Amino acid sequence: MAYVSMGEAHRRITEYLNRFCDAVSYQDSSTLCRLLSFSSNSPPLLSLADALNVFQDASSLIRQSDKFSEYGEILAHLFRSLQSYRVGNLVEAYLAFEKFANAFVQEFRNWESAWALEALYVVCYEIRILAEKADKELTSNGKSPEKLKAAGSLLMKVFGVLAGKGPKRVGALYVTCQLFKTYFKLGTVNLCRSVIRSIETARIFDFEEFPRRDKVTYMYYTGRLEVFNENFPAADSKLSYALQYCNPKRERNIRMILKYLIPVKLSIGIIPKDELLQNYNLHEYTKIVQALRKGDLRLLRHALQEHEDRFLRSGVYLVLEKLELQVYQRLMKKIYIIQKLSDPARAHQLKLEVIAKALRWLEMDMDLDEVECIMTILIYKNLVKGYLAHKSKVVVLSKQDPFPKLNGKPVGS
Amino acid sequence: MNQGGNTQAVAPMDPNSIENRYGVDGSQAHKYSYQYSTGSDSAPWTAHSVENQAVENGNYSNSNYYHPQPTGPATSNVQEIPNTASFTSSSTSGTANVAQDYSGYTPYQTSSDPHNYSNTGYSNYYSGYQQQPSQSYPQPVGAYQNTGAPQPLSSFQNPGSYAGTPSYSGTYYNPADYQTAGGYQSTNYNNQTAGSYPSTIYSNQTPASNQGNYTDYTSNPYQNYTPDAANTHSSTIATTPPVHYQQNYQQWSEYYSQTEVPCAPGTEKLSATSAYSQSFPVPGVTSEMPASNSQPAPSYVQPWRPEADTSHPPSQQPGAAVSTSNDAYWIHQAPSLQAHHPVPPQNHYPSPLETKPLYETPFQGHQRATYPQEMNSQPSFHQAPLGYRQPTQTAPSVDSQRVSKVQIPTNPRIASNLPSGFTKMDKDSTSASAAQAPAYVSVSMPKPKDHTTAMPDPNSFPKSLRGFVERAFARCKDDKEKASCEVALRKIVKKAKEDNTLYTRDWDTEPLSTVTTTNVTNSESSSTQLSSLQNKSPTRRPKSRWEPLVEGKPFVKPASTFSSAVKFGAWNHQNENNKKSSESFQKVDAATGFKPTYSGQNSAKKSFQRPVKRQRFSGGAATAIDDEASSDSDKDLTPYYSSAMALASSAEEKKRRDSRSKRFEKVQGHSRGNDLTKPKNANVGNLHTRRATALRLSKVFDESGSRAVEDIDWDALTVKGTCQEIEKRYLRLTSAPDPATVRPEDVLEKALIMVQDSQKNYLYKCDQLKSIRQDLTVQRIHNQLTAKVYETHARLALEAGDLPEYNQCLSQLKTLYAEGIEGCSLEFAAYSLLYITLHSNNNRELLSSMSRLSEEDKKDEAVRHALSVRAAVTSGNYVMFFRLYKTAPNMNSCLMDLYVEKMRYKAVNFMSRSCRPTIPVSYIVQVLGFTGAASEGTDEKETDGMEECLEWLKTHGANIITDSNGDMLLDTKASSTSLFMPEPEDAVAHGDRNLDVNDFFTRT
Repeated sequence: MAYVSMGEAHRRITEYLNRFCDAVSYQDSSTLCRLLSFSSNSPPLLSLADALNVFQDASSLIRQSDKFSEYGEILAHLFRSLQSYRVGNLVEAYLAFEKFANAFVQEFRNWESAWALEALYVVCYEIRILAEKADKELTSNGKSPEKLKAAGSLLMKVFGVLAGKGPKRVGALYVTCQLFKTYFKLGTVNLCRSVIRSIETARIFDFEEFPRRDKVTYMYYTGRLEVFNENFPAADSKLSYALQYCNPKRERNIRMILKYLIPVKLSIGIIPKDELLQNYNLHEYTKIVQALRKGDLRLLRHALQEHEDRFLRSGVYLVLEKLELQVYQRLMKKIYIIQKLSDPARAHQLKLEVIAKALRWLEMDMDLDEVECIMTILIYKNLVKGYLAHKSKVVVLSKQDPFPKLNGKPVGS
Repeated sequence: MNQGGNTQAVAPMDPNSIENRYGVDGSQAHKYSYQYSTGSDSAPWTAHSVENQAVENGNYSNSNYYHPQPTGPATSNVQEIPNTASFTSSSTSGTANVAQDYSGYTPYQTSSDPHNYSNTGYSNYYSGYQQQPSQSYPQPVGAYQNTGAPQPLSSFQNPGSYAGTPSYSGTYYNPADYQTAGGYQSTNYNNQTAGSYPSTIYSNQTPASNQGNYTDYTSNPYQNYTPDAANTHSSTIATTPPVHYQQNYQQWSEYYSQTEVPCAPGTEKLSATSAYSQSFPVPGVTSEMPASNSQPAPSYVQPWRPEADTSHPPSQQPGAAVSTSNDAYWIHQAPSLQAHHPVPPQNHYPSPLETKPLYETPFQGHQRATYPQEMNSQPSFHQAPLGYRQPTQTAPSVDSQRVSKVQIPTNPRIASNLPSGFTKMDKDSTSASAAQAPAYVSVSMPKPKDHTTAMPDPNSFPKSLRGFVERAFARCKDDKEKASCEVALRKIVKKAKEDNTLYTRDWDTEPLSTVTTTNVTNSESSSTQLSSLQNKSPTRRPKSRWEPLVEGKPFVKPASTFSSAVKFGAWNHQNENNKKSSESFQKVDAATGFKPTYSGQNSAKKSFQRPVKRQRFSGGAATAIDDEASSDSDKDLTPYYSSAMALASSAEEKKRRDSRSKRFEKVQGHSRGNDLTKPKNANVGNLHTRRATALRLSKVFDESGSRAVEDIDWDALTVKGTCQEIEKRYLRLTSAPDPATVRPEDVLEKALIMVQDSQKNYLYKCDQLKSIRQDLTVQRIHNQLTAKVYETHARLALEAGDLPEYNQCLSQLKTLYAEGIEGCSLEFAAYSLLYITLHSNNNRELLSSMSRLSEEDKKDEAVRHALSVRAAVTSGNYVMFFRLYKTAPNMNSCLMDLYVEKMRYKAVNFMSRSCRPTIPVSYIVQVLGFTGAASEGTDEKETDGMEECLEWLKTHGANIITDSNGDMLLDTKASSTSLFMPEPEDAVAHGDRNLDVNDFFTRT
């Protein structure tokens, strides 16, 4: 930390105060954003933080002028937060920032127009980021992390400020997305429901009028929620929307969407191209896709085992596991095709023993009972058309389209 | 003090006290007045409260005015109500409040006075007790006063701040304020000394007269003061003083306990208090010193009463009040213009009997008041001069000392009953002894006079006796009756003296009929009322007592709280002058001494709760809220307290308490018998006290439901069991656990083994395990045994298919494992995995619990099994499922049991949809795990399974056909549309099979 003279510190602080007050009085949202954006670590902010640490009595500076003292509470908390942030005391920084945010939201409520929405976004973003950092600090100190939870309730308050009618509603979706992020991180996903309801049931505001950025984020998270619920068609449409409208240059975002969209698509029988997986570095899915293509049950299981941790954490494990039936179907189809080559007349009769043998080649040791069980399930789920003759241990395939494609419908429908 | 007392007895009071502290008196006072006015009985009290407030508010002329309005009606009510006697007993709430207020005041005043007047006395006191440095003491006193009578206090505080004695002397008014505040209290006080009643009476009267007085008073003296008061007021606001106060309090309480202990009965207490006052010139004054009080009182009274009289000539009450006040007034007031008014009342005083009739009709309390006044009157006179001087401040210290000494003599009982304490006191005060001695003499002189007028030795009489006398007089309807009554009373007293039972007799319970046969006829109804009221009154009492405690409590250590409570109780008695309260207490004291502790506990609870609240609402605006809230809760509590108090006085309850306390002794491992019987030693039993307090607290919670759970001191609540029975039935606790019925850890271990080896049915085991769990919980045992018990119970619950019980155990086990307690965590991880897969069907939960498993965990047989089951279930692989079912380790199969039905149904559905044309039932038997219930040989097993399967298929709507070979076949095509899930046979309307009637009977 470079040494800052008292005069310099005073100058910097005063300059900041002036800029802040000017931004508010001229309703210059972008300047205000810059003034509030901690996590940007912008040089002016850092130097201000240094100045604050040198010039300890900034609050008296604020009080000196009517212009500043009008926002005295906001600024005092902001300064304290910035100071702590600079020193690396993130919990303190968060606490001060929370107070600042409360004061700011209060002020924002009083502003008629929504000019400061962008600044509010920054506040919402910063508080979440700060809370996450503070929690990290708390955890490393062996204390229970709780700041993100607190941030969540503050964001909920902000949502309440924005969710009503009027020009400020445009900002509601941004806050919703911040809330989603918070809740997903906290694992309290069920809390999303109330927010979703107020977004989706409100007729006063067309969803399409929200900023695209927020819409994409919103669709991403709601899509993920649908994945949890294994409601694949809905998940597909939401995630596809997100993919379609997201910024194509943001590969990371696209990848995040694809991480969920691919399993969803796979479950409804749509297999991605290898390039897609390669382009977006989604290698964990390549083997699964291969297994699906080949009907290689062993490969699927290996792939699942290999990335079990990741899949469990992202919540797609169970979805991927259910692809097993499609792999079986593929395997049946391959056997059927092979049989057709050798003996077209009796190709539609698949002996269970043959299937068991095929599985054995895949190092899947199953007896006939189990194979029969699998076949009944396949038939029952309409992945195979036909019937199973128990007495003769033969699956009799339908002559017409014995292996119907899912065509975008989930298994078993 | 006020707060404490308030909590117990009257909610409103608390707020007042709080307000006082904060100086937000005005608004609160209003509220109070209104509340009281609603209740007829309470009406007088409202007046009181108003008055109190007024006093407190003294600074605010407006507030005073407000008060008078409400008070007006109140007073009228009071007058109408014949129960002057009721006053004492009855309007328990009202009286209690008043008493509380007063008590709060009196002590404060006295203390304040002493402070102002005699530092030396203080020092002496301190030195004797060594409890606290004298300096600290004064400060607390100031705080104290604030609480008690806000304004006076405030004014006081300035002096109290003490350092500024000079300022004190300089401002004539300060002393005056002092006196006013003090005087008010002191008047009460005096009454108390004479008979607790007077104070109450005073308060009663005050509504009418006082209010008027108040206004006047405020206008006159106060105006002068106001500036000072205001200043002081602000200063008082500082929270720190209360703290000091509390601390002091503890010390005081300790002191009290010591002194009091010797004299178990209330009378003794009085004496003790007096002794107390002696010992502590200043402190004693606050609490119970008549002498000290007298000084301030007179001064106070004078301003007040005169004013009251002037303002409310119509109200006869003033007269009564006057008597006490008059004395003081006369002397003191002489200088002041208002004094003239009071004079008439003074006249009354000389002829108490005459005045009595006047009072009687309106209030029994008046009579009492007069009575005490009479009694006190002389002392007060003496004191009055003293007080007067004090204001002048020429020789404050000396005066105070005198006063204190005077008091001592006044209470002969003290000397007799508590010689040790007394001597102690004297010794302590030796430094001031020179001055004291004379004072003593002078005091004694006045007393005789008093006696002549009304009773032989009013001052020397036990409080309860005084109360008794007052009650007797209160019943008199006219002069004739009074005269006869007086004769009768004299006889009784004389007899008592001869019998030497004067101090030992329980005057509180003494039937009035002995006094006057004539009276009885006239006032039977009233007597009944009285009695009923009396019963009730104790309830109120506790509250008032606690006033001081409340403030002190939060800061006080638990142990000290206990003792302090006791002390306070005693103190309150004296202060309040409420016979009833004193009665109950005395009884208790005499019997076991436990009772007081009990009350102390109550107070302790309150105090605990209170502080929190107060802190929350430190703001002036918030006080109002606090007000209401507290009042509500207090209301809720009153019945509880009343009943508790009533119980306390009964012999039965005493016995029970005794036994309970003995039990505690056992538990604590040190004998506390002495402690229990003698509140003195109450400090010793920290643990015990704490626990008791906590229990009380918890009870209070139950009652009011308004306290936060986190306020409970769980450590204090923890029980250590003594029960040696291995078998114990489970009974859901509805009260605090009784250590005698709680088994300690080693016994629980045996009990667990007993249950594990037991051949009895699940219901029995469940019952036993639940009681074990309960005992573990109340003793807060968290170790491997706990885990073992829960594991055992969880397994048994699984075995019996008791999922609710299983879930309870599992959730406990999760926390136990999370605490690092070893157990079969993997086994139960498997169970929980199975449970989620098979029963909760929550994907996210499943994912998270799966992701929690480490690679190591997955190698565990049970966990691996559970994971395979999960896979089988998610894929619908029924063959796999039933194979796993057969090979399940631990109790996994039990959890799977509960899913078997669903799985079979699913499987048959699959088969009948997918297979054509038929499936042999034998195959189904094999695949779906139908093994038959009772199986010996293999053949039999087959057929058994077959039968079971057929039965199952039939009940699920399957179509069974028989082929040429006689084999049973499932007609899949027909079955595919006819399958259904039957309602479980054992389903019951309320959904819980365990509530089945038969089970219920077997349980009981």
